[in-house]
Amino acid sequence: MRRARSITWLALPVALVLAAAGCGSGGDTNSAGSGGESGTVSIYGTEPKATLLPANTTELGGNKAVSALYVGLLAYRPEDAKPYNLMADSIKTSDAKVFDITIKKGWKFHDGSEVKAKNYVDAWNYGAYAPNAQQAASFFENIQGYADVNPPKEGDKPTAQTMSGLKVLGDYEFQVTLNAPFSVFQTKLGFSAFYPLPDAFFKDPKGFADKPIGNGPMKFVSRTPNADIKLTRFDDYQGENKVHFKDLDIKIYSSQEAAYSDLLAGNLDFMEALPPNAKVADKYKADLGDHVLTTHLLGISTIAIPYYVPGYNNLDLRKAISLAIDRDKITKTVLNGSYVPADGWISSGIEGYQPDVCGEWCKFDPAKAKDYFQKSGFTGKLTIASNADGGRKEPLEAACASIAQTLGVSCEFVPSTNFGAFRQLADSHQFTGMSRMDWSADYPSIEDFLTPIYRTGGSSNDSLYSNPEFDKLLAQADATADKDAAIKIYQQAHALLAKDLPSVPVWDEKGIGGFSKNLKAAKLNFQRQAEISEFRL
Amino acid sequence: MTEPSELQLSEAPPGGLTRQGSLWGDAWRELRRKPRFVISAAIILVVLLMAVVPSLFTSVDPNFADLDHSRALPSGDAWFGYDLQGRNLFARTVYGTRASLIVGVTSALLTVLIGSVIGIVAGYYGKWLDSLLSRFGDIFAGMPFVLGAIVILTTLNAPTSNPSQTRIIVQVVLSIAVLSWPVAMRIMRSATLVAKQLDYVKAARGLGASPFRIIFRHLLPNTLAPVMVYATIAVGAFIGAEATLAFLGIGLRPPVVSWGVMISDSSNYVRTVPHMLLFPAAFVTITVLAFVMLGDAVRDALDPKSR
Repeated sequence: MRRARSITWLALPVALVLAAAGCGSGGDTNSAGSGGESGTVSIYGTEPKATLLPANTTELGGNKAVSALYVGLLAYRPEDAKPYNLMADSIKTSDAKVFDITIKKGWKFHDGSEVKAKNYVDAWNYGAYAPNAQQAASFFENIQGYADVNPPKEGDKPTAQTMSGLKVLGDYEFQVTLNAPFSVFQTKLGFSAFYPLPDAFFKDPKGFADKPIGNGPMKFVSRTPNADIKLTRFDDYQGENKVHFKDLDIKIYSSQEAAYSDLLAGNLDFMEALPPNAKVADKYKADLGDHVLTTHLLGISTIAIPYYVPGYNNLDLRKAISLAIDRDKITKTVLNGSYVPADGWISSGIEGYQPDVCGEWCKFDPAKAKDYFQKSGFTGKLTIASNADGGRKEPLEAACASIAQTLGVSCEFVPSTNFGAFRQLADSHQFTGMSRMDWSADYPSIEDFLTPIYRTGGSSNDSLYSNPEFDKLLAQADATADKDAAIKIYQQAHALLAKDLPSVPVWDEKGIGGFSKNLKAAKLNFQRQAEISEFRL
Repeated sequence: MTEPSELQLSEAPPGGLTRQGSLWGDAWRELRRKPRFVISAAIILVVLLMAVVPSLFTSVDPNFADLDHSRALPSGDAWFGYDLQGRNLFARTVYGTRASLIVGVTSALLTVLIGSVIGIVAGYYGKWLDSLLSRFGDIFAGMPFVLGAIVILTTLNAPTSNPSQTRIIVQVVLSIAVLSWPVAMRIMRSATLVAKQLDYVKAARGLGASPFRIIFRHLLPNTLAPVMVYATIAVGAFIGAEATLAFLGIGLRPPVVSWGVMISDSSNYVRTVPHMLLFPAAFVTITVLAFVMLGDAVRDALDPKSR
């Protein structure tokens, strides 16, 4: 009796496993077999850090769902990141300070209510109001009255609930007034923080978080924490970026390696990034064949040379360092061709990008590097600091070796255990040498590569670089309403950086993703996300 | 083991007749005949030579990187191939010996030193002092090694600090010793408890010899053997511990070259550049094995019962 029972106990889990396996393979054949407009697409996901509200989502995990659930005034073309009007009918301004915005009629939220101008204004006011503690609140900082709803000093009580710069002019028209002229504001409007929210949200914000209602091409079905988020097509969607499948399944993985095996096995359809061990020696190319996706990303990697470190505020030394890095070889070997050498401080996919702004200083030239190093009179040890995880260590170690061997100086890579510790050093200006400065732009504009990092007092100006002439050009460009004219002035500012070399441009990342054999086509956009309207089963 | 004195007496005459054979002298004669001892001693000698004069084995700078050779396979020029950064793996493995061995040997010495002193004091004085010291040792013995080392090393080095190389080596050695001394202490304590009951020790005490004299003249020679065996095995174990800590990113770090640092470097590339892992890992394994084998051989030689 005893033995028999133990066998049945053993048999039960086995049966469960078999059933689960049967389910899994059954599901796959469905998605692959039925195909066409009624199939399911599953994409790689990570657990969202917060509720699925537009202004509370600043990380990739949540943004995958939010960007499918909601749409805003503008969208960006996946190829070149150029903004185009999506829900906006027109956005007019004469002075880059007051913007008149009209929206298209007949667009609906998933609950059937129409999207009106006040849905935008209410959502922006909610996002900016400090007590709501929305992650992306600072995106509204250019709007007049932001300081009243979100005081600059933490802990201060806001003196108003709404921003004075936002005015509803009609059902389909509203006006935005900024603190100061800012020509790039229009480009920012495609970012998820600027999406509208339905009236249902303001009635019951808590309940809404469990079952969000948006105005995008997909509507919410269910969310199981740490397992999946399920969305389905919203058939009343009016935009041009409609989807061509029925259900979207965002599967949550804790490791990229596991997701990658699922991708190869056909249990997952799309990944926007591949794990480091798949990139070594181009393994992914053999694995995925013509199902590899590449894209331009809005980022640039530089090595910052802090002005506050004694001995480093030396133009000849900065030139010597820049000339001593063999960018070409490092991107091809250590970085496995997933990066290309940088030739300026702006990512190559951006409107207003000019080739070779860095010019001769970004080309490997050992003889010239030695000359400048001798001129600089620097003695001692060079260091490059960075967090060592996530494959950050290897390319910087290689850069350090390149500098050391070219200049005949000792160069050391200084690891921080994690990104948080590394940022702590950067924010408190405690670097003792060079540091990694990888910038990822929030919105596709040349301005976002210059102002935050190099303007005096900029939010990410970790090196404490300051050039009055550079600041003046930026202010002038910000106040220029005509977009093309503004870009020209930003380009002049960009060119100034090549004279000062406040940081050394090193490489520019190519986004590499992949899709499974269940899909016929897919596209990766510059934000390192799937362009869901481009999925074809 | 209840009456070790008798055992020793009955076994002693065969050697004792020809020559005044001490325990150590007997052991040495016994060891020389054992292939296990000869092989492990030879390996250890080679490894020691590598640590002291690495330039005898290779003329290549272990930190010189040539990206043209990145990930190159073993060849006539570079017996172990090149790593991702294009550094010669053979040169790195040879130069890595020193740091790994320094950590292994010094932490074993320190462990035995702390453990022996506390163990002999606890064993000789006994009573409440024994209980106190034994429980104190249990606190450290109860802590899982890796967890304890992580706590110690991350507390000593704030994540934002950039400690110097010597400081890290000293810290790694100290944290290994702090977490491992109870083992040496227990071995020493039990050996002391046995030796304390020997007749001549009792006699010495009866004649009024000072505790200091009794411990050093009479107890220590009788208790040193088992601790020495443990120390030999511990050198191997601690070389492995150094590799573990370096792999976790809290032990030694570049530009110091050690086997642990090399294994840590290779962790992301196991599938595509396996030789980056295989060679340093093989050196760790062989060296650890050699020390463990040596310890085994020494124990057998020192234990008269096995003869």
